[in-house]
This record gives sequence, structure tokens and C-alpha cells, in this order.
Amino acid sequence: MSIVARGVGKVIGHPPNKVLSDITLEIRDGEFVALTGRSGAGKSTLLYVLSSLDPVSSGTVEIAGRDISRMREEELCRFRNEMMGFVFQFHYLIAELSALENVLLPARKTGQAAQRTPSAKRLLEQFGLEGKHERLPRELSGGEQQRVAIARALVMDPKYLFADEPTGNLDSVNGQTVMDIIRQTNAQLGTTIIMVTHDAHYASLAGRQIQLADGQLIPAA
Amino acid sequence: MIALALRYLVARRRQTILTLLGIFFGAAAYVAISGFMLGFRYYLVDQLVNNSAHVHVLAREDFLTEHGLDESFYGKVVRHVFWSAPPSGRKDNAIVESPQSWYQRLAADPRVAAFSPQLTANVIFSKGKATASAALVGCDPEQQIKVTTIGDYVTEGKWSDLAAGGNRIVIGDELRKKLGVYVSQTILVSSANSPPTPFKVVAVYRTGSMQADIRAYGAITDVQRVNRTPNQVNEIAVRLHDYTQAAALANTWAALSPEKVESWDQQNANLFSVVAVQETIRYLSIGAIMIVAGFGIYNVLNMTVVQKRRDIAILRSMGYSGADIIWLFFSQGLILGLSGVVLGLSFGYLLSLYLETIPFGAGPMGRGAGHLIISFEPAIYLQSALLAMLAALLASVLPARAAGRLAPIEIIRAGAD
Repeated sequence: MSIVARGVGKVIGHPPNKVLSDITLEIRDGEFVALTGRSGAGKSTLLYVLSSLDPVSSGTVEIAGRDISRMREEELCRFRNEMMGFVFQFHYLIAELSALENVLLPARKTGQAAQRTPSAKRLLEQFGLEGKHERLPRELSGGEQQRVAIARALVMDPKYLFADEPTGNLDSVNGQTVMDIIRQTNAQLGTTIIMVTHDAHYASLAGRQIQLADGQLIPAA
Repeated sequence: MIALALRYLVARRRQTILTLLGIFFGAAAYVAISGFMLGFRYYLVDQLVNNSAHVHVLAREDFLTEHGLDESFYGKVVRHVFWSAPPSGRKDNAIVESPQSWYQRLAADPRVAAFSPQLTANVIFSKGKATASAALVGCDPEQQIKVTTIGDYVTEGKWSDLAAGGNRIVIGDELRKKLGVYVSQTILVSSANSPPTPFKVVAVYRTGSMQADIRAYGAITDVQRVNRTPNQVNEIAVRLHDYTQAAALANTWAALSPEKVESWDQQNANLFSVVAVQETIRYLSIGAIMIVAGFGIYNVLNMTVVQKRRDIAILRSMGYSGADIIWLFFSQGLILGLSGVVLGLSFGYLLSLYLETIPFGAGPMGRGAGHLIISFEPAIYLQSALLAMLAALLASVLPARAAGRLAPIEIIRAGAD
């Protein structure tokens, strides 16, 4: 069930700009990996390429032994829904839905909203959001919004959690809370975590760091 | 997705209401305007079909032409005849040439419900010093009420009294007013060919149409005697079992005889061309409303797609497909369309009920209590719903498709920038 990238390259824009070149790596199940590097190093692009949201320009990405570029859209959608969770720098909560409804959105896709409601509530309570289930995103603080977003990413019990600068918009206290949740998720549920961060401290909390510079991997010292 | 679509619509209440109003007004206007126009048309057809015969067999009026008598006078020998005073005028009286053959043909035709031979003469009615020139229609009273509804409009006296014969007359209300005559009084009827003949008024009728109410009916034999044209008829009024066959039958019969044969709709072709123009205007005006409403939906949905790009990205990352996103936005158009249609049709119906209570003069548009006539035909409501839904759905397709094509990564990248 590992994630394997072989010779992955990514070119974007006009004129073409090579953002990633010849990336080969393997992320084993249950690992907590931090993708680090300077701004523009290609960390986020690699994360989205590995997570199937961004197609590769060259090379292949395999998740659980399956080449994701060969999957049909329907199959890929189901795969994302059941196996992956995403946390972004911005919470991307839907403004019109309550915290609980936002958390249940992935479950609604497969008609499991009712079934997943107890675990959604449990996640919200676990993340310190008891009594705030019915609040709209605008009625929550930045840290609370990000915790709701993490609960949403975890509600389907995904095998993989992709996090792109999850603490980027938070103060240090809220940032630490979010990092604690992510570490706990990895430790207790065995969820594979791939996290982009430019913060050395948060990166050090990961089991392994993969460093990028100019779209290429920097070999570990 | 429908639940989320509803939330989106509720969240931007003002836009939603404004968009809804477009569809609402379009649907309501279609129902009310169509109801009014169709009501008027049906009334018109009803009046034309029921008050008059379905097919009229009319005597053909032939006129002399400048060289029409050349051959009669000079044979074929002289080829160029120059008249100092060329012949002109109508050829003899206009009469149905062989009414008996018509009677046999009509009696044998299963499509014919009834027919009534008529002789219409222009006469002068007088009572004391009051005189009026008007048409006197000679008919078979028993057949005439089978062919037209004239018997239903009798307000005083009895139509059937006409059948007894002996110079009796049923007079239109307008003519009655001009002469100042009442039922059971006597008036004098004179034609160009005869001295004044006394006729007893046995009934008065009022149809509401000035033209129809300024004439009188008598037994055909009496009118033939006054006109000095015994046994002659100049029209045969025919009623069919199915009035929609009238034009086709009229054309067939016209080819078989020298008479002019016209159906009720052929006689009123001008009126129907006006109705056709009205119909075109109706479709154009409603079409314009629907296009505006459609553009309203298109604009609002387009704006929503732009505003909700981040939602689209996150939904796609959770496994929602492009088709789900299309449905999310398309269903908003569907909800707007359906709500607008339901509200519009209901309001249109209520408006039609109100319009029906508006008094409208006793002219040709008036009937019964003299109210506007509104059609409540289900087809109007169906057409209105289909048109409004079509506008709403067409307007939703493009923004929804654009939303479905958005690549989540592009939106995330743009958000990170």
C-alpha cells in the first residue's frame, strides 16, 4: 500500500517551466513524511502529483500498486474519497454549511453521512470543538476552522493524509495543536502522512524528511 | 448535491429572489396573456361557429364584362366589337341555381347535421313615421334553429311562432329600437318590387352584435312573396357534425357547383389573420421575457461559479467528480426554474381568475354577464412550464459545464498564490 514515484517530472505554464524533474521515491505505509525546501522548490507540486490531484508530465506514480494516471475518473474519485484526505493551508470550508456538515461532506458523496455522523462528532470533540458542531465557519476562529478541515480529511478513515502547509495560516499555539492532531493520527491510526512545510520545527516532528531544491530531491546526508 | 445547491441559493437570497422573479414573471405573463388571448379566440370561434352556419352555399353574383355579350349579339364572325356604351351591371338576381339538387346532396351527406335554405332581401321596415332599411332573412324556422343558435337569443316571444306562417316576423333588438315596435305589434315591410305588406312581430332577439341585431327573420315563403321571387333562395346555411371539416367540405362542394361555397373560417379569414398576428406578438413578447430571465440565471450562476472556485476544488479533492460539480450548479438552475414555474403558474392562474371578473362591455367580446373570457386550458400551463424550464436549464448548462471542467489543482495553486 505504499506510494511510489518513478522518474516523475512536471512542467507547467507557457512558456514551459520545469517544476519537478526525475523524482523517484517511496513512501511506505504508516510513514509520516515531511516535504521540505525553500519556497518554489516544488514541495506543493510534488504533494499534489503524489496525491493524484495534479497529473504528472513524465514518469509514474503508483499508490497501493496502481498507476494513478491509468485510472478512470470515476475510479480515481472513489479512490480519493475512500483512501485520501486533504488538508490545505487555507481551510476551504464551505461557508454555507455548519462545522458538522462540512466534516460530513466526503461521506455525503457515497451516501454514508448518517453512518459517519457519530465518528464526525467524535472527531470534532477530540479536536476541542464540542458544542460548536452547528456553527458556520465564519463563527469559528482560524485554528478551529483548520481543525474542522482536518476532521473533514479524516472522517472517511483515509489511508493517506496529504497536508499542504497545514499550519501556514495559524499562530504558534494553534499550529502546535494541529501538529499534535496530525502526529496522533499517524501514531494511533497508522495513517500515512505526507506534509509540506517550510517550518523546520514541524518538519522535525515527522518520521522522515524529504528535501527538495529546484524541483529535485536532495539526497539525505 | 441538491442540499448544497439549496444552501447556495438560500445564502445569496437577494440574487436568488431577483433571478426567481424573472422566471416567475415570464411564466405568469405567459399564462395570463395566453389565457386572455386564447379565451378571446375561443369566444370568437364559438360565436362564429355556433351563431352562424358552418358552411354557406351562396348564390354567385355574376357581372357583365365589356365584351361579355359580343358573341350573343354578333356570333363568332365579328372578332372586334366596339360598344359606344359597353354593357355592365349584374346578371339577373343572385340565386342558388338548382336548390333541389343541393337539398338532395346535403340530405344524403352523413357529415351534414342540418341545413336551412334562406332568401335574404333588403327591405324597408316602417311603423308609423319610423322607417329603417335592413335585411329580412326568409328561412325555414324549424331548420334555422338547428343550423344556428338564433333561437337561443330570443328575449321576448317565441321563435317557434314564426313557423305558423302568415306574415310573422322575429325582429332584432336594434331594429326594434329604431322602429319603436313591441311583440304582437304590426310593422310594414316593403321591397323594391312590392307595396308595403303588414307583418306581425312575434318575437325579439338580441345577440349583442350590432350587425346581427339589425335584421329580421321571417318564414321563407312570406319573404319570397314580398320579394316577388317565389321558390327562389340565395343561400343555404349548413351545419356539420364536425365544424373543423367545414373548409375541406366547402372546397369540395365548390368544385361541384356554380355556387360560391364558403366555410365559417373562410368567411372570416381576415379576422383569423389578425388572431395569427396576435399569436406571433404573444410568442415574441413572452420569448423576450424568458430570454431576459434566462440571462439572469446565466449571470448569477456564472458569478457563483467564480465565487465558489475554492468549494469546487475542495469537493473535487474529496472525490466528487466533474459530473457531480456540473449537477451542483445545474441543479441550482433547475431549482430556480421549478420554483419560478410553480409560483408563476399559480400567480398566473390567480391573475386569470381575477381577469375573468373584469366586466367587459356587451360588444362582440361580451358574453353572459359581460366579463372577459379567459382560457384555463392545461396546454397553456404546460407550454408556460416547458418554456420557463427550457430558459432556466439552457441558462444553467454553460456555467455548470464550466464549473465541471475546472481543474482543482489550478484553483488550489491560485489560492496559494
